[in-house]
Amino acid sequence: MSYIEVRNLKKNFVVKKKREKGKLLREKETVKALKDLSFSVDEGELVGYIGPNGAGKSTTVKILSGILTPDDGEVSVGGIVPWKERKRHVKNIGVVFGQRSQLWWDVPIIDSFKLLKDIYRIPDKAYEERLGELILALDLEDFIRTPLRLLSLGQRMRAELCGSLLHRPGLLFLDEPTIGLDAVSKLALRDFLKWENKEYGTTIMLTTHDMEDIAALCSRVMVLGHGQKLFDGKLPDLLERFDTVRNVSVKYADGDPCLKLPEGVMTKKTEDGLELSYEPAKLPTAQLLSILQDAGNIRELTLQPENTDHLIAAMYKELDL
Amino acid sequence: MNTLRLYIRSMGMLLRSHLQYTSSFIMQTIAQLVMEGGEMMAVILIVDRFQSLKRWTGGNLYFFFGMMAVSFYFTELFGRGITGDFPSMVRSGRLDTFLVRPRGVLTQVMCAGADPRRISCIAVGIVALIIGSDLSGIVWSPLKVLVLIEAIVMSCLLILGLFMIEAIFSIFSVKSVELVNAITYGGRSACQYPIDVFPLALRMLFTVVAPFALTLHVPASWILGKPLYGWPWWSAIVTPFSGVMVFGFMSVLFHLALRHYRSTGS
Amino acid sequence: MRSYISVFKMRFRMELQYRGAMIGGVLCQMFFGLVLVALYRALYEGHPQSVPVENVVTYVWLQQGFFRMILASDPELLDKIRTGDISYDMCRPVNMYGFYYARIMALKLTGSIMRAVPMFVMAFLLPKGWGLSLPASLFSFLAAIPALMLGLLCVCAIENITVAFTMITLDPRGIQGLLNLLMMILSGNILPLTLFPDSWQKVITLFPYAQLLDAPIRIYTGDHGLESILGVYMLQGIWIVLLLAFGIYMWEQNRKRMIVQGG
Repeated sequence: MSYIEVRNLKKNFVVKKKREKGKLLREKETVKALKDLSFSVDEGELVGYIGPNGAGKSTTVKILSGILTPDDGEVSVGGIVPWKERKRHVKNIGVVFGQRSQLWWDVPIIDSFKLLKDIYRIPDKAYEERLGELILALDLEDFIRTPLRLLSLGQRMRAELCGSLLHRPGLLFLDEPTIGLDAVSKLALRDFLKWENKEYGTTIMLTTHDMEDIAALCSRVMVLGHGQKLFDGKLPDLLERFDTVRNVSVKYADGDPCLKLPEGVMTKKTEDGLELSYEPAKLPTAQLLSILQDAGNIRELTLQPENTDHLIAAMYKELDL
Repeated sequence: MNTLRLYIRSMGMLLRSHLQYTSSFIMQTIAQLVMEGGEMMAVILIVDRFQSLKRWTGGNLYFFFGMMAVSFYFTELFGRGITGDFPSMVRSGRLDTFLVRPRGVLTQVMCAGADPRRISCIAVGIVALIIGSDLSGIVWSPLKVLVLIEAIVMSCLLILGLFMIEAIFSIFSVKSVELVNAITYGGRSACQYPIDVFPLALRMLFTVVAPFALTLHVPASWILGKPLYGWPWWSAIVTPFSGVMVFGFMSVLFHLALRHYRSTGS
Repeated sequence: MRSYISVFKMRFRMELQYRGAMIGGVLCQMFFGLVLVALYRALYEGHPQSVPVENVVTYVWLQQGFFRMILASDPELLDKIRTGDISYDMCRPVNMYGFYYARIMALKLTGSIMRAVPMFVMAFLLPKGWGLSLPASLFSFLAAIPALMLGLLCVCAIENITVAFTMITLDPRGIQGLLNLLMMILSGNILPLTLFPDSWQKVITLFPYAQLLDAPIRIYTGDHGLESILGVYMLQGIWIVLLLAFGIYMWEQNRKRMIVQGG
């Protein structure tokens, strides 16, 4: 059995509609947040979990972390049913909510860590060891005695990560960890997560809207939409499936030659060369390249994959999300 | 033991958080002092005009007032998480962070809120207790001291239990502040006077539903040497335990409600 | 003038939206009223006073019904002060004192009328000696209405001064708490002013806080003859002028300070 097992998970929410004029009671509406979701994750995997807003990502994470009780279905994390044995389960997980902090606003973050030590009943020695390690890995030394409210967004996120990893959880949930961070902080954060995953085999499940996070970190990606799983596999496979249009720019040494291209390839002349866009499904890349090579003396050629964000947008559109 | 240490450390951190805004903290503490002083002033003015309330002397009235003030504001001091902050913990998603930690939710809620400004209200209550005891000529014995402490602790638990009604409602995202106020703050207003001066309906409400009569009035009356309803002396020791019963019952309901918690926001 | 009226209309509609909270509020207030009435009735047993118990009971119900008029009413405004957003408002071309005066009045009027009417109906239906009594005469009822209106003008001016103070200290909660309490005690909400020691009453009834509810209630229960009613109106008028003048002065000072500081 895998580390995380999810079978036929269902969760509905009853939402009260706005009161209509002339009616005494508000009507209720059932929203199916998750309909029949199944997947499994092995120990040590780094899984990206994506989908548009309202797809059911947060609901899944909240059920897996024991906050919500599902209506139907089975979940087991390391052999424990989260909502049945909440305390035993959460001892071994760490959760970072992108928007809400678990550290204290007005006191130095080191004091928040000390409190977390008591909450998780971490022995003194283990705590000192782990804290020292995390301070180094996350570069917290400079602001460990500063109250949270005086920290920058990037520093805050690093502190949050430290807080949720002090008790050495085997499973870490990250909810949009890079939201609002600058480029340097993002890169540092990704490096840290990779390190933590490699060093301790921590299983990480990451929800995000940032495709670069996924590309940099996750060996596996799951796409959720309308409460269902739409894709589960490697990122390149996902991209390939929806990678409908690609761009090539080419520069010739001695003037643009006249190209004989099959139908469906768009050509655009730019200042110092040509830009072509083609559909790999209809015209294999190798075939296009040989046509270009035969036409003249190539000085420079770049193959650009479509921007991942565009791809995802195209995918959501195609899947009618 | 570990839980106690956690609680004490949390309280220390809360106090330090409050002291980050020193002038505001002092100002608010003074405001609380004046506010509770004003409440006591009303009792003093009543005693000045009427001298007594049925069989209770002015001194007795101060004693009852002090008992209620000390109980109520100790609850607010140490149980602010339940008596005030819980609905906003639900709204802001802080409850989610409690749920992903290996500790009781109620423990964490209690650890997350304290209102040290109430210390001034408690001071007023203690002054009222001392004046009341002196004017009533209470002869203190170790047993009476124990019963007094028991009554205050049990009343605190009762008040916490009553405020948990609001907490439970807010888990279901139902706004109920006004109605719950009637029984909590209303209970304080009514039960700072001896219960037997009120008509039957109110007496029933505060004996059966929100048993301030049992946790506070029965022992206080016995200490004053005027047993309530002529009940035997041991009732003063037994009846206050209804406070811990209400608290226990509400805790069970609270945990049942958490099973139906639907965390808001994405 | 039109912008003031639209503030009124908007508030009224918003108030109507929260019917659930309003019903809860009325029931809660009824409960507090019943407890107080029970207490005063118990106190009166064996200790008759110069003020008949029926008048005290009526006093309690009118106080409870108009509770919203006394309480500081505008949490949004306080938030604006705390966050400093108020400085944007201060630089607008509209007269901000007038704007917030209208807003506070709208809040107080809508909040209390919608709670008072159902409460008074219920309080009238209670058994004699427990419920709201009829006014002493038709005349005293009619005479109480202008006193209530003048009282409202008074209390809105007081609240605007409070707001001006909080703008200086930037810490609304402390000051607000203190001034609310002063208001609750000196307007007779915690203990009817008619039960204060007689010598105190002579002074306290001259205070602006007493003008809001204590003055009209005393007229309603027939405590005043025609001459002293006119005296009450006069006193209320004087306070209104003084409080308005002081409030406007303070707001103007604040505005100048904020423009200099640039927010």
